[in-house]
Amino acid sequence: MSVTAPEFGELPAQVAAGRSLPVRVGSALWHFARRSPLSAFWGVVAVTIIVIAIAAPEIAPYAPLKSDFRHMTKPPDAVHWFGTDQIGRDTLSRLIYGSRASLAVAFGAVLLGTTFGAVWGLASGFLGGKFDMASQRVIEFLQSFPDLILAMAIAMALGAGTGTVIVAIAITRIPFGGRIIRAVVMSLKEMSYVEAARGLGASNLRLMARHILPQCIAPYLILATTHLGVAIIIEASLGFLGVGIPPPMPTWGNMLADALNSGLVPPWWLVLFPGAAITLTVLAFNLLGDGIRDALDPRLRGAV
Amino acid sequence: MFSYIVRRLAFGALTIVGVSIVVFVVMRILPGDPLIAIFGPEGFTKLTPEQRANYMSALGLSDPLALQYWHWVLDIARGQFGHSFFRAESVADTVARRGPLTAEIALLSVALSWIVGIPVAVLSALRPNSVIDNVTRFFSILFLAIPGFWFGMLIVLASLFWFGYKAPMAGVSLFADPWGNFQIIIGPAVVLGLGQAAYIARMARSSLLEVVREDFVRTARAKGLSGRLVITLHALPNALLPVITLSGILLGFVLAGSIPVERAFGTPGLGSTMFTAVNERDVFVMQNLVFLYAVVFVVLNIVVDLVIAWLDPRIHYR
Repeated sequence: MSVTAPEFGELPAQVAAGRSLPVRVGSALWHFARRSPLSAFWGVVAVTIIVIAIAAPEIAPYAPLKSDFRHMTKPPDAVHWFGTDQIGRDTLSRLIYGSRASLAVAFGAVLLGTTFGAVWGLASGFLGGKFDMASQRVIEFLQSFPDLILAMAIAMALGAGTGTVIVAIAITRIPFGGRIIRAVVMSLKEMSYVEAARGLGASNLRLMARHILPQCIAPYLILATTHLGVAIIIEASLGFLGVGIPPPMPTWGNMLADALNSGLVPPWWLVLFPGAAITLTVLAFNLLGDGIRDALDPRLRGAV
Repeated sequence: MFSYIVRRLAFGALTIVGVSIVVFVVMRILPGDPLIAIFGPEGFTKLTPEQRANYMSALGLSDPLALQYWHWVLDIARGQFGHSFFRAESVADTVARRGPLTAEIALLSVALSWIVGIPVAVLSALRPNSVIDNVTRFFSILFLAIPGFWFGMLIVLASLFWFGYKAPMAGVSLFADPWGNFQIIIGPAVVLGLGQAAYIARMARSSLLEVVREDFVRTARAKGLSGRLVITLHALPNALLPVITLSGILLGFVLAGSIPVERAFGTPGLGSTMFTAVNERDVFVMQNLVFLYAVVFVVLNIVVDLVIAWLDPRIHYR
């Protein structure tokens, strides 16, 4: 790696100067799409789901909580494309609104948990010593619980609500951020450029913020995207088990729970569609995450 | 080796103590009033301050936290694991009654995951990037995305729709009625087993692809063994080590995954107990069950580490 290479070394100066940030981002995305069309396709699916969640009030044909008492437990037809539930609420509209809960929780939990874990891992990897020892033990304790069980216990202890579900899932994500970022930092801090900066008199805080942190961004992004799918499944499981976001707010998990509680034989359309929505969304985010990992840092394959 | 075992066990004991502290912090100290959990927010506001104080001291919740923790540890040491708010049965008795069903489901699902996952991985690894390889990879990616409990609900619905069949609901022991017992556990075991098979197949495939590049595999080929014999006799046993580790970890996750899956099938196992406890906000039962699940998880990981150390002579432990 040559230190003297100028910025935009490969590009003629006028081209580089003429490109604005959106254009650069656009061309990076284009290269990503060219290199792995499959990930790009799933990326488009993921973006579509995000757009549906944001624009839910515009897209949903009915209000998600409005009961239509002339159409109760009706199979899919031209009026209600995905049928209606026991009290005549439109399944399609509830699915569309459910995507909000799912994505809000998944993004919130992964951002919160991975960020907290990453900062912790950065500090413990960089500082080492007793702090690192203690941190490693605490992370080990947290990792001794299967994700879902820890999330259930925390969600129950904190009481129902969107915020508590986010916190509960975020806590289960902390060990992953902590472990992987710590490993990255441990190898980085032995590098000679860090040594050089230290020799120039940089403080620990400055070393962490200016020299180590930028190198952690790629693994952080990879971690965050690869954990979105798991977070969505945990959120749905919590909703299904009655410790997620409480009704009447529709989530895919509590829609499935409603279907199960509706009687001895749940109507097929109340079971099929919410689960298919979960599967499609998790599939999209998992494959997009794999693509982003392979594009940013293929060495992390299997690590996250 | 002996010192490795001792050290591993000591670390395991430390982890279990740490786990108990985490559980205690989550269930008792996090800002959620156990009385609100028991009576619900509305019921809680109807209680007078004296009633609240009485309930708290009756439940032993007004003692200092350190004392509460000590009482809990004593309770565990006596093998009681506390009592439910709502039922007379101790948690230990509930686990003894319902645990076997969940254990059967977990073990059967692991067996299924190997039966499905390993042959699939061998087929994939024999011809990387062939049609078979791509199809199996697609299915393993798909199964990683399907929530087990939904898959379970679909199976229940489909068998009812097309065969008019519904598995018996009452829990029967393996020895009293093997056929009835099998009908109860097969559904959850298939769902959980296929979920694990996706991970197993993925891991075994990449592990196999790594092993087949090694010298001893080339030697086996050079001495004229057929491709199939090279894989099954030489490459596979070596490739299975990481798969065993993964399988142990997955077994722990299966115990957690069985909670919603048992709910979907209506299986009367430990997962259903957990579901009831969490919905009744039964703090003591949850505290003890969460602890027990974590202990099982920790013990499984130790067992897997020891098995790997025993199987793999290349690893030297100090």
